[in-house]
Amino acid sequence: MRSILLTLACAAGSLFAQSSAQYLPQTPDGKADLSGVWVIRGSTDLPGELPYRPEALELWQERKANLSKDDPAAYCLPNGVVRVTSLPYKIVQTPQLAVVLSEGNTHSFRRIFLDGRAHNLDLEPNSWTGDSTGKWEGDALVVDTIGFNDRTWLDDTGKPHSDALHVVERYRRPDPGHLDIQYTIEDPKFLTRPYTFTRTFVPANREIQERFCTDQNRLVGK
Amino acid sequence: MKRNYLGWTVSLAAAGLMLPLARTPATAQDPQIQVTGKVITPPGAVAPKGLPPAGPKGPVPRMPDGKPDFSGIWNGQRALPNQEPPVMLPWAEKLTAERTNNYSADDPEARCLPGGVPRAAPYHYQLVQTPKLLLMLVEGNIHTYRQMFLDRREHLKITEPLWYGDSIGSWDGETLVVDTAGFNDKFWFDMAGHPHTTQLHVVERYHRRDFGNLDIGITIEDPGTYSKPWVIQRVSSLETGIEMSEYVCNENNSDVLHLVGK
Repeated sequence: MRSILLTLACAAGSLFAQSSAQYLPQTPDGKADLSGVWVIRGSTDLPGELPYRPEALELWQERKANLSKDDPAAYCLPNGVVRVTSLPYKIVQTPQLAVVLSEGNTHSFRRIFLDGRAHNLDLEPNSWTGDSTGKWEGDALVVDTIGFNDRTWLDDTGKPHSDALHVVERYRRPDPGHLDIQYTIEDPKFLTRPYTFTRTFVPANREIQERFCTDQNRLVGK
Repeated sequence: MKRNYLGWTVSLAAAGLMLPLARTPATAQDPQIQVTGKVITPPGAVAPKGLPPAGPKGPVPRMPDGKPDFSGIWNGQRALPNQEPPVMLPWAEKLTAERTNNYSADDPEARCLPGGVPRAAPYHYQLVQTPKLLLMLVEGNIHTYRQMFLDRREHLKITEPLWYGDSIGSWDGETLVVDTAGFNDKFWFDMAGHPHTTQLHVVERYHRRDFGNLDIGITIEDPGTYSKPWVIQRVSSLETGIEMSEYVCNENNSDVLHLVGK
């Protein structure tokens, strides 16, 4: 009797797992569909301690001490890839390309190439958002980005990085209501070892709004 | 990367809506041109001045549902020659003349503000199409995006006027008709400084003539500024083997220092 119950429970469990998996949105070609308007749940700051080399730590302390006066975001410059805002992001996904549209800070876009191309830094060797290529590993989209400049901050507190920054993001939807992004940050010039953390995003339940930093920023144009 | 703004003055002027002196108007006898929305270039001939060379030949790519797929990187929209100039109300005529005569010193775009609709830039733009959305990614002047929604038929109630308005698209056969309203009155249509009011209503008709060429017919309606609709025909050709750069206007914007007017 006990074994029968256990068998039934297992069967029910596997049925449940199967049916909830079926509810995960998929694209027509069977890939996980990451499309939607997402907003971060929790802090936008990087958690824990980054394994900074002394000179990088000093730069971070300096930025904190001068009250972020040189924050690129305050000058309507792009946030890059690691730094996020508390405003929503929209992911538009096609088989060849995923585009991340940000509402803030600069109301700009980032392209993630899914067409199998290799990194190409000929045009932009050091850019704000880098060069991003993505490939599928099961239901996770793994995005590899290099080619950064050293001007973006990793979060609002001013955590620095160098132009050797290499970011690997794993996008995964564990269920329809969540998007998890696991970040692995390598930066041999500034970090002694890779640093990994995960962020969770939830549906914003609204469209992204038009929000232009240059239109609202009273610092600019003086 | 920030590019030199003044360097594209001439090519922007060639975009047709622009300063008349910088453009070489084609004559009606020009055998290369038919002013019907199509540019016809005989084999071996050079494309008309100010127009991009014809894009690669081939059939129109299609979405899974059979609709034309506009996805791709396109070069900056160029106006066809010999188009009718806008008919402005007196205040608009006066303001445009003032702006032009003042060397466009107050052009919002030079201050890294959005270009709005339908301002053309000489930079590339990328169209990304899904069944529900046509997304326009703009290389510059500001590196931003515009969403054209294909899954609703009514405009949103706009409480705060927008730089890019609210765009909804519907299919008329092979042509995507994009209807946009809800604009603010801040942007200029071109470097000449053609103005508009918040009554602005823009209809764009996107037609991918073949693999490499996109025709765009634009109707600008704004009874507060123009005494009749202003119709513009433009063309873009497909760029293959080229990527868009990351144009960040706010990075070292040295242009604004030179825009001092008279």
